Amino acid sequence: MLRSQRHARWLALPATAVFVLFGVVPLLTVVRYAGWRWSGVSDPTPVGFDNMVRLFGDGELWRSLGTTAAFAGLTIPIFLVLSLMVASAIYKTRLERFVKALLFAPGLVTVGGSAIAWYLLYNPDFGVVRELTGWSLPWTTQPFAALVYVVAFTLWQQTGYGVLVVSAALRGIPTEVKEAARLDGASEPGVFRFVTLPLLRPTLTFLTIIATVLSLQSYTAVYLLTGGGPFGSTRVLGFYLYETAFERFELGYGAAITLFVLVVTLLVAVAQALALRDRGVGRGAMAGDA
Amino acid sequence: MIVLRIATGLFAAFVALPLLWLVYAAFLPAEALLMADLTTLGFTLQNFRDVVGTGLFSSMAVSVVASGTTVLAQLALGLAAAYAIRNGARVTALVLVLLALPSELLLVPLYRLLQTLSLIDTLGALIVPFLASPLVVFLLLQALRRVAWEVVEAARIDGASEAVILTRVVTPILRPELTAAAVLAFAAHWNLVLFPRVTTTEDLWTVQVFLSNLLRTRPFEWGLLGAAALLASAPILVLYVVFEKRILSTFEAGFRT
Repeated sequence: MLRSQRHARWLALPATAVFVLFGVVPLLTVVRYAGWRWSGVSDPTPVGFDNMVRLFGDGELWRSLGTTAAFAGLTIPIFLVLSLMVASAIYKTRLERFVKALLFAPGLVTVGGSAIAWYLLYNPDFGVVRELTGWSLPWTTQPFAALVYVVAFTLWQQTGYGVLVVSAALRGIPTEVKEAARLDGASEPGVFRFVTLPLLRPTLTFLTIIATVLSLQSYTAVYLLTGGGPFGSTRVLGFYLYETAFERFELGYGAAITLFVLVVTLLVAVAQALALRDRGVGRGAMAGDA
Repeated sequence: MIVLRIATGLFAAFVALPLLWLVYAAFLPAEALLMADLTTLGFTLQNFRDVVGTGLFSSMAVSVVASGTTVLAQLALGLAAAYAIRNGARVTALVLVLLALPSELLLVPLYRLLQTLSLIDTLGALIVPFLASPLVVFLLLQALRRVAWEVVEAARIDGASEAVILTRVVTPILRPELTAAAVLAFAAHWNLVLFPRVTTTEDLWTVQVFLSNLLRTRPFEWGLLGAAALLASAPILVLYVVFEKRILSTFEAGFRT
């Protein structure tokens, strides 16, 4: 090995320093803060395991875990089906580039602006849908409708990423494999079911895990669209964490909730990885190169 | 197949509708809304005049400075890190783990850290924690894996230093991916909502904090909301339209095995 190649490894140092200071350090220190009573302004008081004990008796926390599960359970299957459907439908057609560009756009466009656009369209009192059809959308009053609304916004924002990832995987399937199946007399749905789909499994596994991890943690959509309401029906874990720490200024308990979210995320991700591996799925799309 | 295509078309329309409406509402006169008559094809620039004085432009300036500085640092540090990993530095696992941890989840410990560093309520709070981005490192690393490494080896044999190889050899080859990573990273930082809301106060509010507040304080002024949202989205929309092809192909290639 050339000496300069060894030198080149040091170039990872600045980025690694940032990752450690603002990624690893918060992950570790949050354990200590979870033992504090702390308003964010005054000095913290150590309270031992009080916050941890409180977690178990906190009905609001367990309810928000249920809400998060419902949110993820609705979002992820639809996200996967849509990504698969759109990517296959546009594969090697003239509209492929246009549709991809369109679907990717909401993920980039100013998220506050997107929230405004949705508000103007779907507001139950004077939104465009109300003006044109007379139908008042129930998402500000009915708990389940509110959850569906947040799910729809999330799908609107994120499906483009899924389509691009599936589309990249479709391109990676050699045409000869599909040709061979067709020569053997397989119908188009048959080729999809028995050739394409199995070859896409690592990609779908990867997407499922990433989507799960992110949907357990994210709450920007809830913050922008519903503020957790109505009646707390859209208060996902992340949003409950935010409210506790930065609206009720209980940062110590907020740290305990952060820890709770991290543990839940880790457990779910590991369980998923194991379950999907047991069903004969090999390396994930990314783990393959990592 | 036909059913799939129709469903895809419907979904595409669902995605396009809010984007189109954003543009339409920005030019809609207030009367059209009061009369509840959206079919009149009104056109006005009044909404944009109303935006002046709301504070949109100063919050956009904060966002441009913060996101711009951040992205430049993310590209420099990210390229160096990706190159180091390609040469055998073992930090890939760290990058992948952080890729799955949004900063909004670590808001509490980050808040304490920024307090300790005296960065709360400074521009630094919006920049320093984001000086390196796992996504940028990941995308540039995937791009570097496709580069024929003989080019780098040849430069080494010719006696070029690593700094020269990085700036004169690698950077030109990766220009499309660097552009794409820049736009994606800019959008990611520009779209932070809760992090800036918590770590700064009104003078340093970014455009997202401003917009989410405007929606709460003036919910009935459609035209104003539409115009503010359109103006705030314009920088990214323009970048996206110009570099769309590079962005999509870099992102796709990043996930190809």
